[in-house]
Amino acid sequence: MITPVLLAVLALVLTGPAPAVLARSDWPYRVPRAAVILWQAIALAAVLAALGAGIALSYSIAGEPGTPKFDPSSPRDLVAALILAMTALVVVRLLWAVGRVAIGTRARRKRHRDLVDVLATPDGLIPGLRVLAEETPLAYCLPALRGARVVVSVGALDRLDDSELKAVLAHEQAHLRARHDLVLEEFTALHHAFPRWVRSDVALEQARTLVELLADDDARRRNGPRPLARALVALAGSPAPEAALAAAKSATVLRVERLADPAPDERVLATLTYAGAVTLLVLPTITIAAPIVKAIVDAVS
Amino acid sequence: MASEDKAPRPLGDLERLVMEQLWAAPTALTVREVHEQLAGTRDLAYTTVMTVLDRLAKKKLTDRERDGKAWRYRAAAPREELAADLMRDALDRAGDRREALVRFVGQVSDEEAALLREALSRLDSQERAG
Repeated sequence: MITPVLLAVLALVLTGPAPAVLARSDWPYRVPRAAVILWQAIALAAVLAALGAGIALSYSIAGEPGTPKFDPSSPRDLVAALILAMTALVVVRLLWAVGRVAIGTRARRKRHRDLVDVLATPDGLIPGLRVLAEETPLAYCLPALRGARVVVSVGALDRLDDSELKAVLAHEQAHLRARHDLVLEEFTALHHAFPRWVRSDVALEQARTLVELLADDDARRRNGPRPLARALVALAGSPAPEAALAAAKSATVLRVERLADPAPDERVLATLTYAGAVTLLVLPTITIAAPIVKAIVDAVS
Repeated sequence: MASEDKAPRPLGDLERLVMEQLWAAPTALTVREVHEQLAGTRDLAYTTVMTVLDRLAKKKLTDRERDGKAWRYRAAAPREELAADLMRDALDRAGDRREALVRFVGQVSDEEAALLREALSRLDSQERAG
């Protein structure tokens, strides 16, 4: 009976307090790549632990090992079956959310790309670049398996010099190359999969910021920190309908301050973060797998 | 990604040209009318124009109606309207649209703009010192 309780506690900690603490810390920004992996591990471990709690609970309620027959007259077996069914429901809900987000994102992106292709003019500077005749300064990418686009508005071009433009394009190409959109999609799907009363925006917001930092690092390696920082300042504060901002420092400020400070060697921190991610994934897996493996061994011996 | 755009993309380019014809025209146009207007400036097959118009209809960028044996095409919406749709989609963060469009930079408040300039000047002075 101890396994399901432990797993349930782990699932609760990983959905509530752990993300909240992590989101308030500064150190993940120093190791964005490891931090993205850690966030993914937290999300996956939370799901595994929740499912594992259901399976383990059902398993520990239903009769003794060695009599795997389902007995409908036994209330214990009925409760066990009900718990198992609810666990299955969670899986279905999760898959449903993943599918819906994937389909919705692709449909919207395709419509957007169709509009870009008839409204914006191609520019040969980099593959897939389209220039949009709009005054609002804007630069973004439309990820795709084939035929990804980078869109830059005339308003953005007016505000950037050549080196700054190169930095912006390097940043966008980094997003496309690493498929950061898929990382964000995972977190969006998970966000929608959780019931409204337990989910928070923390994980999704952090993932958004971290992929920006990763793309920044790529652009910084290519052109140095200065053009990128100047481009961020030149394009920030654009009249975008995103007025409602949290009291916390916005990702843009964080990014420029990070570019302004020379990057120290963070190999130790990164290694620790990766280790934490692996541990998180191994914990629920072992707790679920151990009793099942033991039962199988008992059954055959 | 690279191979796709290094090669000329005649259909994509043509889509833009054909839409421009439709936006400029006061009435719905037949394939022949669009072809005649475009053939003046480039060497184009009639069937190519037909294909492009068909693709645009499938993308719901044009509406078409029967006129005798021919189809007549018109732009699904005025250019400004489609541009407004596009801008709304690109700027709107509500409804989780960020995942489709990974944007370079978001909106900042006035105080944050000050922080940004401060960080930038710090970076500039480092550059001069180093």
